[in-house]
Amino acid sequence: MNLHLSTFLLALAGSAATGARGEAAPAPVPPGPGAALLASGAAADLKFAEMFRLPIGPRGLEPSARLLALAGTQVRLVGYMASAEHAVAGRLVLAPLPVSLGDEDDSLSDDLPASAVFVHLSPAHAGHVVPNLHGLMQLTGTLQLGAQEEPDGHVSSLRLLLDAATSQRLVEAADRAGATPVRRP
Amino acid sequence: MNQRLFRPALCGNLLAATLAASFNLAQAAPTVSRLTPPSNPVLETATTLARFLPGQRFDLQATVQPSADAGIASVAFAVDGVTVARMAHDGTPANQYAAHTGLVKTGLVSGLTAGTVVASVRAYANTKPGLHSLKVTATDSAGGSSTRVGNFEVVAINAGNGRRAKNIIFMLGDGMGAAHRTAARIMAKGYLQGKAQDRLAMDTFPFTGMVMTSSLNSIVTDSAPGMSNYANGNKAQNNQEGVFPDDTTDVFDNPRVEYLSEYLHRLKGTSTGIVTTADVFDATPAANAVHTASRGAGTGIVDQYLDDRHLTGLKVLMGGGRKWFLPNATDSTKPQPLNGSQRRAASDYVLGADLQAGWGASAGAIDADRDLLADFQTAGFSYASDNASLQAAGTPAKLLGLFAYSNMNVAFDKVNGRRGTSSIVADYGFPDQPMLDDMTSIALKVLNHDNRKGFVLMVEGASIDKQSHLMDSDRWILETIEFDRAVQKAREFAQANPDTIVIVTADHECSGAAIIGASMVTDAALRAKASNTAEMRDSVVGVYEAARFPRYAIAADGYPQTTDVDHKMLIGYGANADRYEAWVSNPQPTQDSQQPFVGQAPLNTYPASPNLRNASTGYLVVGQVPGDQAVHTATDVPLSAFGRGASLFTGVFDNTDVFFKLGQIVMGGVR
Repeated sequence: MNLHLSTFLLALAGSAATGARGEAAPAPVPPGPGAALLASGAAADLKFAEMFRLPIGPRGLEPSARLLALAGTQVRLVGYMASAEHAVAGRLVLAPLPVSLGDEDDSLSDDLPASAVFVHLSPAHAGHVVPNLHGLMQLTGTLQLGAQEEPDGHVSSLRLLLDAATSQRLVEAADRAGATPVRRP
Repeated sequence: MNQRLFRPALCGNLLAATLAASFNLAQAAPTVSRLTPPSNPVLETATTLARFLPGQRFDLQATVQPSADAGIASVAFAVDGVTVARMAHDGTPANQYAAHTGLVKTGLVSGLTAGTVVASVRAYANTKPGLHSLKVTATDSAGGSSTRVGNFEVVAINAGNGRRAKNIIFMLGDGMGAAHRTAARIMAKGYLQGKAQDRLAMDTFPFTGMVMTSSLNSIVTDSAPGMSNYANGNKAQNNQEGVFPDDTTDVFDNPRVEYLSEYLHRLKGTSTGIVTTADVFDATPAANAVHTASRGAGTGIVDQYLDDRHLTGLKVLMGGGRKWFLPNATDSTKPQPLNGSQRRAASDYVLGADLQAGWGASAGAIDADRDLLADFQTAGFSYASDNASLQAAGTPAKLLGLFAYSNMNVAFDKVNGRRGTSSIVADYGFPDQPMLDDMTSIALKVLNHDNRKGFVLMVEGASIDKQSHLMDSDRWILETIEFDRAVQKAREFAQANPDTIVIVTADHECSGAAIIGASMVTDAALRAKASNTAEMRDSVVGVYEAARFPRYAIAADGYPQTTDVDHKMLIGYGANADRYEAWVSNPQPTQDSQQPFVGQAPLNTYPASPNLRNASTGYLVVGQVPGDQAVHTATDVPLSAFGRGASLFTGVFDNTDVFFKLGQIVMGGVR
């Protein structure tokens, strides 16, 4: 294997543990039962493999007890941004594997794993287009469960709502990635 | 004169007024801005555009725009001078086709004059071979009238022309051009001293022709018209399947052209099978059974597979796309547990009365909360969710297989999953997906059971195209090998059942793939190369005699033990986007995220972290096309035929011609 194992890690913790910034509590979604288990302000690590019963059964996805317990609470996800031919403002898709969203030829016939999470930037950045970023990303935000229609035609089952500070850091990191071109030799 | 020039209505009214003033028109009249089916100019030398088998159903339609002075009063259609249907704007029907006609005044696209109507005659059919004239006459309330003339052809079937085929097996390698076939042969069979050591199954088919693949609106098609043109003998626009374009916003009300599956089911009682490795709503499978102007309208597409099975005789449906078959209760009063459903109201279907009456099609309903999987089972379909349940299904009367959430995983990853060298399929949550040859065998077993009337089976190797878009050479070559193993099953069936025709073809070529040579170095040396052009390209790419004969050891499961052999075959791309090429196989199913492998412009994707600046492997190959994926090309594709009537498939022909050849073979026979 020729992979360089260094990873591009964007650690964007927006939890209110950073008392110095005095951030307000992030999400309007009422915290699920898992909230009681966490220390105030701490985010729970959630792996993609923990979200649904694996392998997937004969019908649809079956959320794990852990996923249901964490609904509405702060979670930390590590994954890859699914690269898109046509970016959608205000959101990106985080997946356990580096994949591409379907191109014009494929539309919704895609290679997106079922556990992909639709990450929503904060309302302040709703119009911001995040360019395709490569490498592992770590994002923290409020986990939201339930079917919801997305503007591009997808129906998301899982969403991560970034708070204002996390969203700001993501946008800045994306802008830096786009703004410093390094030509290959 | 009664006719007035029409211009797209951006400045239509102003221009119209100007024209009226300058030409001093005595009387304004309506304008027919679209007549369907579309015609070539009525010239003796023009090839007729719209062609149909005798009795094949299709819709007549006209878009009529009023003049500024008077509203539309009536629209009448005539074929060969004989009125077929006449519709009055106020709704009084005056013709035998009354139930089949519709006059639509709302839900039209923007840019049309106020008061425009779209008039349709649904499920018209003509059995008389030859060229026919089509005329639409529109009148307005001020007594003005205008006409527009077109034509269509009914292609004769030579009856009693020899032995007929009962079964059709249509093997479609999506995006599979000549280079894709050649590369699969080199890898799977090997060459020595200039000779292929064995043939692909598709190489053994005795008749081969070349197919022109363009769509109604471009030399470069996509998979929707790519399949639809074969399946109903008419050109469709990119993104559209089984329909002609129209001027309404509804994507399920477009003028239809009957598919081979529907035509033969109606006339002969045949059954239909659709097998794919893609999401079953995708264009290639859908363009055998479902009529829509939007290949992406997934909810309505999958619903109609079931709801209109009485039109197609659907007995087998297999592939990915389980996400469409689960109830989605967004905004409903019956909340569903989270299940990953992709159903939504905006992509669902409801049909007007004219389509229902004319075609016998189901009304449809906006029902994102429908449990389509349960409905299939209630309708008598056995259900298989993985390879184990597929193999255990026996020989049910009807079979539904949904093996993945969207697209199935590719052969490269399925095979490595079975060998235990990759966890990709497990990561996706579907570790036990069947191979396409197994899906094909079982589909044939089900369709051939108690098979008195014959069947039409379409089998698609879908990710030859998808991986070609991603320029993942190792993966599309293995997809082609998997597809060829399915072709072998079809060939064996046709040998055992001689009243069968098997076609192997492609909807279009994808990526401009080319076998440019082979690596001049071993795999180990390749991985040690530095990431620059001099190292990765100049000292690696062996051209001409430096390519020699790449050799791949084939494992017992029929696939290469590894594609990363010493001196491996190298693939270039003529329709490529920017990519970094390192020649070694990617462990992940798409471009490796550790490297800016196929960014958009390199500007946007180069990571900011200094750790990664020199971490990528491969050298930059600048793309011919923008974006980050390779595209389709207009290159002709080879078509190979085996079995009864195969001799018809030689020469260079249009993809629409294939429909008529199949019609002749099944209805009239071939000597």
